Amino acid sequence: MPKLHLRRVAPVAVLALALLALAACGGDYPNSTFSKNTELNDGAVFIWDRMMLLGTIVFVVVEVLLVYTIFKFRRREGGPAPRQIHGNAALEITWTAIPALILVFLAVPTVRTIFENQRKAPANALQVEVIGHQWWWEFRYPEYGITTANELYLPIGRTVNFSLRTRDVLHSFWIPQLGGKRDLIANKVNYIWFTPKETLSPAALNGACVEYCGASHANMRFRTFTVTAADFDKWVAHQKTVAIGSPAAGAAAAAADSAAKAKPAVPVKTASIIPVAAPAEPTVPEAWVFPADKLPAYAIPSTPMPATAFDDALLAAGDAKAGRELLMNPANLGKAPCMTCHVVKGETNYATDDNAKGPNLTHFGTRHTFGAGLFRNDARTLALWIKNAPAMKPGSVMPTFGVGEFNPMIKQQVPAAAGLDDKQIADIVAYLRSLK
Amino acid sequence: METSSAIPTHDASEQSGIWSWITTVDHKRIGILYLYTALFYLLVGGLEALLIRTQLAKPNLSVVSAETYNQLFTMHGTTMVFLVVMPLSAAFFNYLIPLQIGARDVAFPRLNAFSYWVYALGGLFITLPIFFGIAPNGGWFGYAPLSGPTFGGGFNMDFWVLGLQILGISSLAAAFNFITTIINLRAPGMTLMRMPMFTWMSFVVQFLVVLAFPVITAALFFLQFDRFFGTNFYEVQAGGDPLLWQHLFWVFGHPEVYILILPAFGLVSEVLPTHSRKPLFGYNVMAYSGIMIGFLGFGVWAHHMFAVGMGPVADSIFSVATMLIGLPTGVKIFNWIATMYGGSLRFPVSMKFAIGLIAMFTIGGISGVMHSSPPSDLQQTDTYFIVAHFHYVLYGGAMMGIFAGIYHYFPKITGRFMSERLGNWQFWLNFIGLNLTFFPMHFSGMLGMPRRIYTYDAGQGWDLFNLMSTAGTYLLLVAGLIFAYNFFKSRVSGAPASSDPWGAPTLEWSIPSPPPDYNFAQIPEVTSRYPMWDLKAPDRTAGIEHSHADAADIADAHAAPMHEETERRTAKELGIPMPFNTIKPFLVALGIVVMFSGMIVLHMGKFPLAMATMLGGGVFMVASLYAWLTSPLE
Repeated sequence: MPKLHLRRVAPVAVLALALLALAACGGDYPNSTFSKNTELNDGAVFIWDRMMLLGTIVFVVVEVLLVYTIFKFRRREGGPAPRQIHGNAALEITWTAIPALILVFLAVPTVRTIFENQRKAPANALQVEVIGHQWWWEFRYPEYGITTANELYLPIGRTVNFSLRTRDVLHSFWIPQLGGKRDLIANKVNYIWFTPKETLSPAALNGACVEYCGASHANMRFRTFTVTAADFDKWVAHQKTVAIGSPAAGAAAAAADSAAKAKPAVPVKTASIIPVAAPAEPTVPEAWVFPADKLPAYAIPSTPMPATAFDDALLAAGDAKAGRELLMNPANLGKAPCMTCHVVKGETNYATDDNAKGPNLTHFGTRHTFGAGLFRNDARTLALWIKNAPAMKPGSVMPTFGVGEFNPMIKQQVPAAAGLDDKQIADIVAYLRSLK
Repeated sequence: METSSAIPTHDASEQSGIWSWITTVDHKRIGILYLYTALFYLLVGGLEALLIRTQLAKPNLSVVSAETYNQLFTMHGTTMVFLVVMPLSAAFFNYLIPLQIGARDVAFPRLNAFSYWVYALGGLFITLPIFFGIAPNGGWFGYAPLSGPTFGGGFNMDFWVLGLQILGISSLAAAFNFITTIINLRAPGMTLMRMPMFTWMSFVVQFLVVLAFPVITAALFFLQFDRFFGTNFYEVQAGGDPLLWQHLFWVFGHPEVYILILPAFGLVSEVLPTHSRKPLFGYNVMAYSGIMIGFLGFGVWAHHMFAVGMGPVADSIFSVATMLIGLPTGVKIFNWIATMYGGSLRFPVSMKFAIGLIAMFTIGGISGVMHSSPPSDLQQTDTYFIVAHFHYVLYGGAMMGIFAGIYHYFPKITGRFMSERLGNWQFWLNFIGLNLTFFPMHFSGMLGMPRRIYTYDAGQGWDLFNLMSTAGTYLLLVAGLIFAYNFFKSRVSGAPASSDPWGAPTLEWSIPSPPPDYNFAQIPEVTSRYPMWDLKAPDRTAGIEHSHADAADIADAHAAPMHEETERRTAKELGIPMPFNTIKPFLVALGIVVMFSGMIVLHMGKFPLAMATMLGGGVFMVASLYAWLTSPLE
């Protein structure tokens, strides 16, 4: 009867465990928490290693004792009655004291590391403001006047101090490869800081929201690019400029032009609606982003596409100028109210970074992904997104714009008068992708 | 509730038919009601888990929508905690506590029926919405402000807030009932330090309930007022504090973990000595460690919140306090092993599950200590590592212990054995399925997979682990089906069991199986921790303290020396007054649930109808309560 079962089952269990161990050792784990890439993670990994060691010892002792007892003391026919032992004070004190001692070895480094991790960040740290939204990430570099979304650039070797806020519900900020997480709490500013080590090579890392935040919690991801200090400076120089094609950019270019020609005594003021952070430079710096061909597979999203149809020929013929006109001309606000929720630096903005419902799109064309790390930033995906975002990301605040598309949020079809046709969407796509 | 005539019922002449179940005040029948209802919800919660795991079998699947998934995981947690593990424990509290302490019923039999009906109806209230796609979707932890009106505006979280309030009434009423029962109704000579360990752990749990549930009740009231009456306790736009909710929730939520696990510890502490033929090793320490766990359990809540930025001092204090709670828990593990060590072990299915608890809970305990260190926990919290941890505690611990209890006490409850053959299949499938489901989650978590995500991208290194977890869940389903088959088949045609089929040491085995409705024809005089062994194997209990034959000191005219009752007579023949069956507790419970439902109508914007429902339910409740209180018990 039951006696044989153990023998039958044990090999299966052992095999399964062995397979699991094998699987865990081999393979590629792009979001491993065991990477000693920052001092923050050094502390975590140190404590983990110690816990793993002590925990394994405890586990082995307990399970060996248990299995030994099971086999040694199984009832035998005609065997002697067991000796009746009701307790043993010395023994019980021992197996309380030993775990207590083990805990001391855990508690001391724990408390030390807690206080180390929560010191004030070094004064020269790069300040990054992280603002959580349902369901995307806003990143600001106040030092440089840069606001961007869902793609974070960090210089290798410099401490970065994140200040974390949320615009709505609670979120949690986590880049597993760089360190532990910190929650974004409404009506509170949280901090976390770490230093990507000097020795790191440039990398693209995944990040995610890890506090349940509603419908698209699973779709609130982001990318972190750890880049060399020089590359970071190039990225900053470009990102802090105004949008290409905006009046501000035109004015700046004109100013630079005339400055070069006539050397006027009085510096020309830029005509931007939003003040340009940097003084107009003679030439617009070359766009630098993490090279697309160096993106590892795990950083390229493979989110399934909706069944929405789109004519590729239209995309190829997309007209950026017409697209810009569609967005910027107040007459089109009824059909294409993009600028009421998004900010494009240097353009006519109805929203500011502080009340915008959607990501800042100033250099949208330089981003590798959109939709909070959900989609590749290519023309076709972008067109489908504009056509029907809620169908691609549950709960998306961005409405359905494509004429005839079904908006799953309000359960209505978009009427012809209120929506955009594919040609118009293709133009907008062309404009957005031109925002390098 | 079905009543098969093939089963010897407690008093077949008077107690049969659905009406008798609705009106019963017998603690044993109420225990059985709890058992069946909780097993039904186990099926519901299990199917929810199955859908969750099916959705996550591979990256980027769309078996269910995001919204459905969020409802499923919210309800899976809520169901398993409030509608399965707690009520399964309550089934044993009800059935066993009076039997173990030598009483004829609980202190307040009608209140007991009331607790059950509030639970059963409240459970329906919170479960039914999932069939209409409007189930709670803010997580079983209901973090504000997502659970508030601004960000969780639908009916979904209404059902959660109101449902938990309803269930809280049930738990609190039951807790007061059992505390009174244990303090006042122990048989003569049954001192506290002679109580069976299950009763001891239950005793601790009742105090945890009484102290923890008012906190969640207050927290829920705030949320309820935010949702329905425009207050701003947690409404962040008006300056409300979402951390208030978190603190209140976990001040309840952490003791709740011990509310879930301690009864299982108690059951295992009954099973292990019986099948080892040795008394429980270190009885005193086992009792004190239970109290210690309960006490420390209130001082560790903020370890659920290491990521919220409490500052280094609070982090350190809660970290060290959490480590400390590992000590009394560890002592229990070692004492169980010591109970078996040197014994004469026999391995029926109940013993296998009990040993399974020791083996599996150890894993959950160790990973629990791992979370106690914030620097490391910040890499683990809100990942699948945590999911792995608490499923080892709650499935590997609580559920294993409860299965051990079911197999152990099934003969007492029904007079029949469960099939050992099917039981062995269930155990091994459970054991493998549990490890296959939850062990890989340690890996997926530490490799960066967040919790509560309805989908994940390919290429993240999580695919294999998720597939394994899903496969394991299907094994658990098969194990569950085998259990259900075994349970229902054995009820009808299991091998008949004697009054003391396992050779167990405690009072509940001194009366017939199933016990007559009055339990004990004569209340026994207890002179030992192990009265049945005193009777049958005196050598086994010879040297135990608290087992002196001090019968002479017991001056109770009604008490009879320790004996085994084998005769089955009716209460009438014996002249034992039995409480009347009554529908009133059910009606009061119904009134409460109707009253709470009025809040949902209020949210629909139908003010007059809402008022009518609430007032109607309220008046109905008060009237039923009045009738209850003015009618005699027996």
